[in-house]
Amino acid sequence: MRFESAEPGVYPSLIYPPYISTVKRGPTREPLRIRAAEPVQANISASPSLILPHDTDLTRHGQGEPLGEKIVVTGRVLDEDGKPVRNSLLEVWQCNSAGRYWHKRDQHDAPLDPNFFGFGKMLTDDDGRYRFVTIKPGPYPWGNHHKAWRPAHIHFSLFGSVYAQRLVTQMYFPSDPLFDYDPIFQSIPDLAARQRLIARFSLEQTVDDQMLGYEFDIVLRGRDATPMGL
Amino acid sequence: MASNITTSQTVGPFPHEAWAWAVSASATLHSSAPTITISGILRDGDGVPISDGWIEAWMPDAAAAETAQQIPGFRRVATNDNGAFRIEVSLPSPACSGKPVLFATVFARGLVKHQFSAVFLEDDSGLAQSEILSQVPADRRPTLIARKQGDARYHWDIWMQGEQETVFFDYV
Repeated sequence: MRFESAEPGVYPSLIYPPYISTVKRGPTREPLRIRAAEPVQANISASPSLILPHDTDLTRHGQGEPLGEKIVVTGRVLDEDGKPVRNSLLEVWQCNSAGRYWHKRDQHDAPLDPNFFGFGKMLTDDDGRYRFVTIKPGPYPWGNHHKAWRPAHIHFSLFGSVYAQRLVTQMYFPSDPLFDYDPIFQSIPDLAARQRLIARFSLEQTVDDQMLGYEFDIVLRGRDATPMGL
Repeated sequence: MASNITTSQTVGPFPHEAWAWAVSASATLHSSAPTITISGILRDGDGVPISDGWIEAWMPDAAAAETAQQIPGFRRVATNDNGAFRIEVSLPSPACSGKPVLFATVFARGLVKHQFSAVFLEDDSGLAQSEILSQVPADRRPTLIARKQGDARYHWDIWMQGEQETVFFDYV
């Protein structure tokens, strides 16, 4: 597999002062482009047995129905040549509909939902497709600056077919008024690259009167992928 | 042709519950090879430990010794309140001399793109012939070397910035 340089502006600025935590944590030097055989030949092999029955339905982790708007999120994971990335591990996590994470360090003054923990995992199918059911996450304040509220988002973690394709990102929802004020979203200089992180509302994926559908396709870096089985 | 790749965003401070399954799956090591531990501290530009960071280790050459492992050759650990992490490693065969003992990936709040690095053992006799190290400027190579601390124990700190800033990679 080949890994070409990402075009300027596609990756976020590692040091982006409006996002305060980047100032002391983002590397100051350009990453060193190197050849390495191993990262392009191998990857973790996640056994399907590691995927539990309710990992793709985040609304079924408690004793009852979670509060909020039930949604389905689906899309395809592709490489840069548009080939599906198959049997590939994908993890998601998010806050609940009130904007609070199931995490001891999240002290946001919003209720925890005893029926929603907000995490799941899955493998892509032969078409590179993933699909999960969840609750639409709420916006929440995060203290970065005055009136700092994150746009609603779901965190995604992908392993791809080979190590160098590893990606962690966030999926946002259409027409969020907070985009222009969010320094995490704005840390990506390229407008088109930012917009690729916004899911598309899909009536086709909407399930009757149960849940609204969103589509979010993901393109991992790398060309000429050799599809790998498990 | 524009690649249209999906760009990255930070893990934020709260992936712990979602990522715990893989921590558990790699916490106890079942290996047919000798093992060592690599421990260190993840530090920011002021040297302050990063207490909400994550390290993933990928050891393709060691995976064969870990067939009893739920995820062979892979580890995921969170840094603790002191920014410390500890990774147990199956030693690859002597034929792998000069290769990294593990490929590392660093994630943290404030790190809008995860960073790839690699670790070599200081007592690996093949370092001078290493294909990867030879591509790294000589004055920065020490940032990729784990120092021996005792029997089967090595130390490797990760510095996000500063004079000792760890070398991070972008693969060709």
